[in-house]
Amino acid sequence: MTQHLPILAIISLFIGAFIVSLIKEKNTTLRNTVVLIVTFASLIFTLMMYKPIIEEGNVLTYWMGNWEPVQNWAIGIGLEVDQLSLFFGLFISLSIVLSAMYSFKYIENETGKDKYYVLFLMMSASVMGFIFTGDLFNMYVMIEIMTFASVALTAFRNNRPEAVEAGFKYIAIGSIGSSLILLATVILYAQFHTLNLAQLAGEMYNNYTVASIFALALMIVGYAVKVFAVPTHFVAPDAYMAAPSSISMLFSGIVNKAAVYGILRIIYVVYQSMNLPTMQFLLIFWGTVTMFVGVTMALAQHDFKRLLAFHSISQIGYVITGIGLTTALGITGGLYHALNHTLFKGLLFLCAGAVFYATGTTDLDKLGGLAKRMPQTAFIFLIGAFSISGIPPFNGFVSKWIIYQATYEAGYAPVTIVALLVSVMTLASFIKVAQSAFFGQLPKEFKNVEEVPLSMRVPMWIMAILCVIGGIVPNIVTKYLVTPAANAVMNASRYVEAMMGKEFASKFYNNLGSAPVIDYKLAGYWQPISWLILFGVLLLAFTLVAVLGGFNPKHFSYADEEDAKYDVFFSGESSEFSHVAGSDLFWGLKYQFRHYFDFMHNIHSGIVNDYALSVVFTAAVILLYVFTFVR
Amino acid sequence: MSKKEIKVKNYIIKTAADFFAPIGLILGIYVILHGHLSPGGGFQGGVLVASAAVLIYLGYGYEKATKTLNVNLLKKSESIAALMYSFFALLGIFYAANFCRNVFYNVGKPGDLFSSGTIFLMNFAVGYKVLTGIGFLILLMFGLLNNEEA
Repeated sequence: MTQHLPILAIISLFIGAFIVSLIKEKNTTLRNTVVLIVTFASLIFTLMMYKPIIEEGNVLTYWMGNWEPVQNWAIGIGLEVDQLSLFFGLFISLSIVLSAMYSFKYIENETGKDKYYVLFLMMSASVMGFIFTGDLFNMYVMIEIMTFASVALTAFRNNRPEAVEAGFKYIAIGSIGSSLILLATVILYAQFHTLNLAQLAGEMYNNYTVASIFALALMIVGYAVKVFAVPTHFVAPDAYMAAPSSISMLFSGIVNKAAVYGILRIIYVVYQSMNLPTMQFLLIFWGTVTMFVGVTMALAQHDFKRLLAFHSISQIGYVITGIGLTTALGITGGLYHALNHTLFKGLLFLCAGAVFYATGTTDLDKLGGLAKRMPQTAFIFLIGAFSISGIPPFNGFVSKWIIYQATYEAGYAPVTIVALLVSVMTLASFIKVAQSAFFGQLPKEFKNVEEVPLSMRVPMWIMAILCVIGGIVPNIVTKYLVTPAANAVMNASRYVEAMMGKEFASKFYNNLGSAPVIDYKLAGYWQPISWLILFGVLLLAFTLVAVLGGFNPKHFSYADEEDAKYDVFFSGESSEFSHVAGSDLFWGLKYQFRHYFDFMHNIHSGIVNDYALSVVFTAAVILLYVFTFVR
Repeated sequence: MSKKEIKVKNYIIKTAADFFAPIGLILGIYVILHGHLSPGGGFQGGVLVASAAVLIYLGYGYEKATKTLNVNLLKKSESIAALMYSFFALLGIFYAANFCRNVFYNVGKPGDLFSSGTIFLMNFAVGYKVLTGIGFLILLMFGLLNNEEA
């Protein structure tokens, strides 16, 4: 039974997609039941793999149709699940379940729900397939299904012109990325006559050819397009903004993470190129630029979801920096941050969706004061905002702290400084969101908005609780999830040995079975319990002041309250509505850096030709870099 | 289908369509069914069958083609075919082998039509999926062409 779990986790979602396409659109109950059953089944199959893989440390291999390798030559398609795959698989299948639960109410009033769930399940299934496969061409097929399902879901609200436009941009840019990956796959197949990742890894160990280096550059750029690293990120804000929030959550939570997994698998396991300082520098530099540009663009946004999209880019920069360090601490930090990013960014997108569901807009200049009407959403949003800004005792702090330490230890002190700055700016922009969406004055058209239904709040609460857990018990999370995955990243020979057998692996690797033990200690001054107590005390004090009326200025009221016309005097300062809108905050910063922001606004032109050009430019630069420096 | 109802502009194309559509159908179905014995298989045969839809469109126009071929049925059939494939592939797991494993392969005489176990059925499911999927896509695209002309 155990060896069938990966294929069952993938195929249950695919079967769900095919069944849903047979159900009539009006039959909501049946469709929701099917979606819930298959997503839960996939989660359970993934959870069942935890014990054999992470706890006992096995690597699960599976040959489709029993086509096992003949004379050390892999002819069949294989699935291979090691700790790294399972680490990604666990939180990906969890976010699929949560997003499905959230969708039931969220898209209740939209048309085309049947197509939504077909595409939703197709995208989820392809990501699961991408994570669990051990075959290079399978990876390409899955990423292509993923891209096309994402494109269709981006354009789901096709009554809005910007959604259709974003879908078109996404398909153009995404196809360029996929084509690069396909070209690299073809080159590797022509060179080594195999598509199996493990066999490729063995053949390429210390044996680079010109063609394989060319393929490496194309692979990196192809997956960078999927991960939205900076010069290729332009399409991301448009797509995230136009898609429904439950899908934006999956874009940042699973589609992006799949691409991060792809980068890790290709450069660490297949190419084993990360012992080269030039490759490390490439990823660290790229990640640092990505995090900086993402957060500065986020500061200037006035749309809730667009702001979150830029933050998504910025946080992925942390992940890339972390995995580029190649030290045990760096990979641990990168992987931990990938997990945390899925949790808190999914949470924030769901909050944006809740705001949209309740008010019909995500424009921060129009929103305000929603905490009074939607207290739970506001509270959950604060947890998400604290997590992403790296405030103890939430999970973002832990992973960011590990990344600061790792960058400093590895001698990249400037990167540490940039990372700290980015974290501060993240906090600043979330203060802006909190202030202009949830606090401040409640505009009168939103006086009657209501809290979102329970089925939308439950996924948000689950993610919020996981965010807190990840921050309070980081040593448990690292011990039982992240460290095994980091070990798997650093031990490519074990991957090869599990898939192709000892005889094949010993041809290339001398020291089989000796995994580099990660000397991991949460160095620093991290005492989660005392931070939690401090946070609790502050929260108590805050609540006390709030209850006593300290934050409740009475001197602002609406000019046209019901009873205003019966007042004798109703004009004057007290009746003026002076809402501090989202764009008003940080105007000084925006003014001081106006040249930078002008430049950035100009290059985010919205013209798909420019975006495509930037991808091609990136490909050219990376090709030059890789051919010059990587040997 | 009485011949008076059909308005055609070009008798050469209509005659050619009448002549080639059955050949395309028969050849396509032959290729699907003999996928395990001869070159070709589900995908190739499915595309051949779907070419009949193109011929009907060329010979008789879009309206006749949509009347002859039920678009909704094609759409549903594609999902059913995908489910069929998943089911036959999962049979491998139920019979204590791996996913996609060919089971019952020693039934019948080698070289006969029914001699290859579930691989025959999987091949058929692929063919069914491709012929319905491509047929549906072709009708969809011709529908878009028609709208632009109008």
